[in-house]
Amino acid sequence: MIATAAAVVSASLAVQTCGASVMAAVIRGRNIYGTVIAVSAITAPAVVGFGAWRLGLGNDGLVFLAVLHLALGGLLFHFMTLPDRSVTLRLLVELLLAPQYTLAMADLTRRYSLQAMIESRLRQLAAARFLTIGADGNIQLLPRGVAFGRFVTAGRRLFRIQSAN
Amino acid sequence: MIRLLLPLAAFAAFFALSLATVRLLRPAQPRRFFLAFGAILVAASVLIYRRLWPLDRLEDAIGLAACVAVQLLLCLTFWNSFYSLLWGFSGGLMHDLLSDPSLRYVDRLVRSYEGTGPTDRIMARRLPNLVAGRYLDENGGRFTLTRKGRLVGAATLAVLRAFSLGMGGGIR
Repeated sequence: MIATAAAVVSASLAVQTCGASVMAAVIRGRNIYGTVIAVSAITAPAVVGFGAWRLGLGNDGLVFLAVLHLALGGLLFHFMTLPDRSVTLRLLVELLLAPQYTLAMADLTRRYSLQAMIESRLRQLAAARFLTIGADGNIQLLPRGVAFGRFVTAGRRLFRIQSAN
Repeated sequence: MIRLLLPLAAFAAFFALSLATVRLLRPAQPRRFFLAFGAILVAASVLIYRRLWPLDRLEDAIGLAACVAVQLLLCLTFWNSFYSLLWGFSGGLMHDLLSDPSLRYVDRLVRSYEGTGPTDRIMARRLPNLVAGRYLDENGGRFTLTRKGRLVGAATLAVLRAFSLGMGGGIR
């Protein structure tokens, strides 16, 4: 029984991981987080159907199975933030691709420049309607951006984080 | 269905313990505490679940897996919020833009991150940590990946390729 449950967990995770990978390859440029959510939501009914058909689960069991599947999708969602967003991991990848795995500081900052980093993040924040960027480089915070900024400020105060980036 | 309250209660304990630890002990590496609290609370949840609902049927085993997955998801959401939002780059940008209106120009914002030393604020925080964690060796201003760094870099690159994420690092 525990082995069956472990197999269900593995299968659910494998279906979502493979599904997200294939969908990301087919629909290039789409936000990976949206892809993971879509795959999780699309495959959930099939997983529940499988649970009723092959595993003979009752209503409670089917709800648990759906919750399990969606929670595993949530874990995959969080996992994606590591390679997709992490500056630290990007630095390691740049060095991995460099000759003899070595770079001088100047080469490192040329490959992964501060300007490119900030401009890309600002573009993403603008696309998500947190702010707008004028033609002259003027940045205006939108209500969503103000709320996000306040959330970060309040969180830093709550956890007594003095400085971070 | 009441079983799903177990991971919610465990997460409430995880949050309270983490908050108290960060505020009172101010550890240099809070993630070690988060990891320990998370592991202990998952073990506690499994013990409590098995005592209240013995694993007699497949439904019970699936219910246990669901409870553990939800608990891990909640704890990871907290962890990610702490490190990616409160400590992270985008959160930091929004915090700076909100708290200092004079930075609301792209060039001024970039300048504020350049800092006064040889490295910008972004690198100045990360590179010493990578060296201290033995992911990199530094020699005369040149950085070389260690075996550990190559392993993590290769795993990251594999995931980037598997999910068509480009080069990652938040740049699109």
